[in-house]
Amino acid sequence: MNATALSATTAWRAANARRAGVCLLGLAALAASFAADIATGPAMLPIGDVLRVLAGQNADPMMGAIVWKLRLPIALMAIVVGAALSVSGAIMQTILHNPLASSYTLGISGGAGFGAALMILVGGALPIAQEWAIPLGAFTFAALACAIVVGVGRTRGATPELLVLAGIACLFLFQALLALLQFLASPEALAQIVFWLFGSLLRADATKVAIVATILALVLPVLLTGAWRLTALQLGDDRARALGVRVDRLRLRGLIAVSLLTGAAVAFVGTIGFIGLVAPHIARMLVGEDQRHMLPAAAIFGALLLSLASVASKLIMPGTVFPIGIVTALIGVPFFAWLVLTAHRVRR
Amino acid sequence: MKNNNTHRGGMLSRRAALLLPLAAALPGRARAQAPEVIDALNRKVPLKAPAQRVVLGFNFEEFTAVAGAQNWSRVVGFARRQWAVNRQAVFARYQAAVPALANVADVGAAEDKSFSVEKVLALRPDLLVIDKWGFTTLAPMMTQLEETGVPVLVVDYQAQMPAQHRASTLALGGAMGTMDRARELVDLYADRVADIRHRAQAAGISPKIYFEIGMGGADVIGNTYNNAIWGALLELVGGTNIAKGKIAGGWGPMAPEFVLAAQPDFVFITGSSWANAPNAVRTGYGTELETTRRTLAPYAKRPGWNSLPAIRNGELHTIEAGLARCLMDYVAMQYIARQLFPDRAKDLDPVAELRRYHERYLPVAFDGTWMARLA
Repeated sequence: MNATALSATTAWRAANARRAGVCLLGLAALAASFAADIATGPAMLPIGDVLRVLAGQNADPMMGAIVWKLRLPIALMAIVVGAALSVSGAIMQTILHNPLASSYTLGISGGAGFGAALMILVGGALPIAQEWAIPLGAFTFAALACAIVVGVGRTRGATPELLVLAGIACLFLFQALLALLQFLASPEALAQIVFWLFGSLLRADATKVAIVATILALVLPVLLTGAWRLTALQLGDDRARALGVRVDRLRLRGLIAVSLLTGAAVAFVGTIGFIGLVAPHIARMLVGEDQRHMLPAAAIFGALLLSLASVASKLIMPGTVFPIGIVTALIGVPFFAWLVLTAHRVRR
Repeated sequence: MKNNNTHRGGMLSRRAALLLPLAAALPGRARAQAPEVIDALNRKVPLKAPAQRVVLGFNFEEFTAVAGAQNWSRVVGFARRQWAVNRQAVFARYQAAVPALANVADVGAAEDKSFSVEKVLALRPDLLVIDKWGFTTLAPMMTQLEETGVPVLVVDYQAQMPAQHRASTLALGGAMGTMDRARELVDLYADRVADIRHRAQAAGISPKIYFEIGMGGADVIGNTYNNAIWGALLELVGGTNIAKGKIAGGWGPMAPEFVLAAQPDFVFITGSSWANAPNAVRTGYGTELETTRRTLAPYAKRPGWNSLPAIRNGELHTIEAGLARCLMDYVAMQYIARQLFPDRAKDLDPVAELRRYHERYLPVAFDGTWMARLA
């Protein structure tokens, strides 16, 4: 008995050490990718000059503006948005028992897109600058989309099937409303809407990075303290209830976390797909289902994926920034395929 | 009066050609004076001196006319695609005529979302000139540029309103230190537009007109214009635009049956030298009249169009698309006026006017077919 218990403990410790190792490796790769993100850009400045700016040894205002005001916020935005989208995808996949769930599936991104378009059209009448009215509109309608799903859940019981159906209905509703706005928009407003919907990190600045980072820093610890409940939920609703988890409440809370994370991310960078779907799967394959490990790993690998995509978007056609949404899929799909095909080896 | 203008223009451009290199060589006095520049959005452009390192987002030909071709040497960056792809033939002409164009870097365009703030900053510009559409589409990036100290001058020829043409032209002249040229162009434009409006009022008729972009060929229903671009231009000439108030937004396609039901008296299909548009109506520099007519002809054979008064009376025309929302668009107004009320406009000669404009303000020679009737 003792020997068995001992070996179980050893195995558990070894597994934990391996998970920590995977996360550390991920963090190291993220640091490297972050550095590469700052070193590269369409103006193709010499790397030595960039380093001197970072070290405070280059007083050239042009170089300073490019490194501090453009590249640094973009590199940081890739990290916080990648983490936020990935964690929100992870939560959604868990609470809905559905590997296809992401902020798109439930119409949350759709809501954000409609909110942004609405502000582009009528935001001029509001007493706030359009620069802030657009993200505010995106955030509000992302939350509204979530509230509709939650509302359906509260009246008819929050079963995963019902939530997914309500979400898909939301998606079509907001897509139709967005198309209507685009149809009615003036050519200038239409161009602005299309430009906004086209996900891009180029609009990042220090304040926006700080807002997304703050939301991530508030939501992630709350999720982690209840991580065991999410892990239990993966055994099925009945077993989770038997363990004392109030399943419906957990689902609704999870949805609120999702709307905060997705809303904040989408509000500032537009719709960047794929990260929220694939990064959680990558994390799950690497560290397993236990949410205590899975959620931080999802954050790290989501950040890494978007950061790598940001670097690649500048290297594919030197001198041009390639659309990031295309790059996330082009990098993510082969990587994901490789992981799926080799999963049995990785998980052992 | 026209001759008088020609004379003045010739003198000015020669004098400007002599003075400008001088001004650049003597930075002290020229730069000491901060020009008072108000752009088309009525914003003060914070320039400390006439701009020496300009990035151009659009309206390259207006810039050339106002600043003079020799001042392309003060341009460090431009949105290449907006010119090289959308107006292929025009760009080719300017490349040959303006050697400085070879040294101007591409900063990306608003249109294909490739515009890069980083590239603009790396060129250390002291002025960005952009059209209103680009300014609104790229709003967050414009804020970034202004915050890092790059003055942004917005021009708005797109509005197709004489007041906006005037404000844009004077702003360009002020920013480049070529106010004499700017004033002359503004006066010329005001004079020609007033003349056309006068004739239109005297004619007192307003036949029905249908405009369509001829980029996709007769098989594609191209955009028509509600109150923007050609729609706004028609307001000045005085025709009845059948699309006015009938489509959402400033431009967009109109249902074919509506065009048939509206029975327009005149149809204008725009042409140009668009890249990747094999079926387009061809007009502009170097285009033979036969080519223009051959590419326009399929439009007359559209289903049901033989019932339109315009087709029956031989009033199917093409106009170069680049002849709207620009400083020489009064030429398009003159051409339309000649068709709409020939009795009141037969002394107008838009082609001669266009040639004169080229000789006076542009570095490229005028040739080709820019406006034509089908047969």
